[in-house]
Amino acid sequence: MFTAGFSRRYTGGVREFTVEARNLRGVIKAMDELYPGLGHHLEEETTVAIDGALHETGYFQPIRPGSEVFFIPKLEGG
Amino acid sequence: MNDIAPTRFKWVGTRPIRPDGVPKVTGRAMYGADFTTAGTLYGKVIRSPHAHARIRSIDASKALALPGVKAVVTSADFPDQKFEYVGPERVAQNFWHITRNIMAREKALYEGHPVAAIAAVSKSVAEDAAALLEIDYEVLPHVIDVDEAMKPDAPLLFEDMITRGIEPAPAKPSNISKRLEFQIGDLEQGFAEADVVVEKEFKTAAVHQAYIEPHACAARVDADGLAEIWTATQGHFGVRALTARLLGMGVGQVRVTPSEIGGGFGGKIPVYLEPIAAALSKKTGRAVKIVMSHDEVFKATGPTSGASMWVKIGAKKDGTITAADAVFKFQAGAFPGSPVMNGCLCALSPYNIPNARTVGYDVVSNRPKASAYRAPGSPISAFGVESTLDVLAKKLGMDPLQLRLKNAVRPGTTMIYGPKMSHGGYVETLEALINHPAYKVPLGPNQGRGVASGYWFNGGGESSATVQVNEDGTIIVSSGSVDIGGSRASMALMAAETLGVDYSQVRSVVADTSAVGFTNPTGGSRVTFATGMAVVEASKKIVDELRGRAAMIWDVDVDGVVWENGQARPASSNVGDFPPLSLKEIAAKKALTGGPLTAAASVNAGGQAPGFSTQFCDVEVDPETGKVTILRYVAAQDVGKAIHPSYVEGQIQGGVAQGIGWALNEEYIYDKNGRLDNPGFLDYRVPVAPDIPMIDAVLVEVPNPAHPYGAKGVGEVNIVPPMAAIANAIDSAIHRRLTELPMSPPKIRAALDHTGADD
Repeated sequence: MFTAGFSRRYTGGVREFTVEARNLRGVIKAMDELYPGLGHHLEEETTVAIDGALHETGYFQPIRPGSEVFFIPKLEGG
Repeated sequence: MNDIAPTRFKWVGTRPIRPDGVPKVTGRAMYGADFTTAGTLYGKVIRSPHAHARIRSIDASKALALPGVKAVVTSADFPDQKFEYVGPERVAQNFWHITRNIMAREKALYEGHPVAAIAAVSKSVAEDAAALLEIDYEVLPHVIDVDEAMKPDAPLLFEDMITRGIEPAPAKPSNISKRLEFQIGDLEQGFAEADVVVEKEFKTAAVHQAYIEPHACAARVDADGLAEIWTATQGHFGVRALTARLLGMGVGQVRVTPSEIGGGFGGKIPVYLEPIAAALSKKTGRAVKIVMSHDEVFKATGPTSGASMWVKIGAKKDGTITAADAVFKFQAGAFPGSPVMNGCLCALSPYNIPNARTVGYDVVSNRPKASAYRAPGSPISAFGVESTLDVLAKKLGMDPLQLRLKNAVRPGTTMIYGPKMSHGGYVETLEALINHPAYKVPLGPNQGRGVASGYWFNGGGESSATVQVNEDGTIIVSSGSVDIGGSRASMALMAAETLGVDYSQVRSVVADTSAVGFTNPTGGSRVTFATGMAVVEASKKIVDELRGRAAMIWDVDVDGVVWENGQARPASSNVGDFPPLSLKEIAAKKALTGGPLTAAASVNAGGQAPGFSTQFCDVEVDPETGKVTILRYVAAQDVGKAIHPSYVEGQIQGGVAQGIGWALNEEYIYDKNGRLDNPGFLDYRVPVAPDIPMIDAVLVEVPNPAHPYGAKGVGEVNIVPPMAAIANAIDSAIHRRLTELPMSPPKIRAALDHTGADD
């Protein structure tokens, strides 16, 4: 899933997808196949929430069956 | 939700003496201004006296002719950069902008904007040379206030800036760099379900991070093209990357050593001086040191955004919030990049609001480029939302903590940014205050009590650490995180706990960019969490290595060795009858068993939990002078597990103290020409000891299971609630709603003179 602004920019407003993947690399790869070029933006611009827990977007994050993966804008602290 | 019992730990959760204490109190600690090598030149930055001006020409010939002047640099000495936003939206870097902030090119965009720099043999020669520099400016109209900057006829900082985030794109340029929006649910339906709707407008002043140590650095670029930089920074790997990029060097050519740091609070993440010092060093072949004055710090670094906001919240009679809508307009300063997105994401996040929207505008104006300040963006938007909630509670006749508890975010709540909340902690902060004895203490005339909450994401990300066992069994922990809030102590405690050794045997240091792996800056409340994970991982590797060395000494299989309380022991009697081997004994045989005992670990830490803080304060307002006295301040924060509780309490007290300054006194005051009237601590009024009562820091510990010791970030969320808590207390005391920061005596007096209905 994507936040609204992100979906406007890259997927024509579509925000939810179902993909098969064992890890986040697989999710990003599947998204890039649907929307060529999107994968790079997901890698560069997002933090990811996997079942609600925030992670830096990284290929190595495991994805369990039925997981909800939410890409949100990357954040910065002070 | 976790199995981390505080009593399990021997060192984590204790309060040993801080490792940086003695050098600091004896004046021996090395800060940014303390690095000097033989032949070091003094660098001085020449800054624009105008808020907005075109630079027609710079003639340095007379300055260069002055004896003792070694070099002058201008923007011509820095390669121009391509105009493109690189990286994530909020933290996107546009090097076209960054190089122009380091050194103005076509235009000076704020008073204090660097336009040239001089290297000379002494400070006085550099200052004499500055007077000889001939700079021809065409002064242009300026704009500072965010609402003024958004008007169609406002002076434009960039004649070709088209607002991003609006479709179709506007035809005309403006000072609005970006619009963004987050929404869940159905706003119209949500407000239709409400029995009470409150709508308010707010403004906040730009405030500086107000670190006591000014920016300072020294740089030396040698004939072989390799550069050394010593600097006061929150992130030396960032200094390395930006300096290399802005000077056209490779990252590997630049080595950065961080100094002790006298406060940063987000404001020492950007680079200001390092590329200039390095450019001057390239020209002269000598080391160049630049130290800002406090006047320069206020005029050319930081601050955080000033803002203008509108907030609307609707609720049922029983206090259930049905909808919330808000617009946040943030000053970005002279270049795009305010923390308005963070403000949009955090503002409503303590609450379960099914129908919600936040809209943000990033707006450039003629003041220094905004930089991060402790939970950047969240305190600003929280001032609007938490004040509006207080109005709502008073209209409903509800206790403000109970209103918040009724609507509190819990694990499973859908957040405005999309996913479901996966951590608890907020409810526990509310309950801590509801049950706090001081919350029920009666108040006197002109006194009032105010409540507010705050949310911050907290960070994870990339960190590196190395653990070494010395030949006498003592330990060195090196990490890539600059120590701002006590991380050396925290790292040593986690290493001692993991290794099973005494804390006094561990020395914890901050390593330079060549001595440890890449590490993200100290910011975003990430270090104890992320760098702590790297330290624990490296310590575990050392434990595995020590087990292997013991197995070798005993001539048994490694599976037959366990590590307990800092000693190797046989896993069972079947392994053999060996007396325990201490770490010291194993270290003494390091050469025989394979050489030095060293382990490194690097992580991209994830699973960080957000921070919640709820605070209340009691104030007394002097109706004659308008002075607000803080009588009592109680701040409850979910800290996960406090690794060193004294430092955690200090973080909470520090954040609240800064929030009190933001609430009551701090602001940038400009004259009609856009020049800052109050640079420096004499006129920029930060709180001093008599302004602040003893802040009662209540540590709420809901451990994060993703961290080996349950840690959550603790450095930032504490600054989010104070401004609204104090505004709400003032309203309780004098029945006047202050909607503009700072709530200084003249504003309180004006509110008291105003006879109209409150709220």
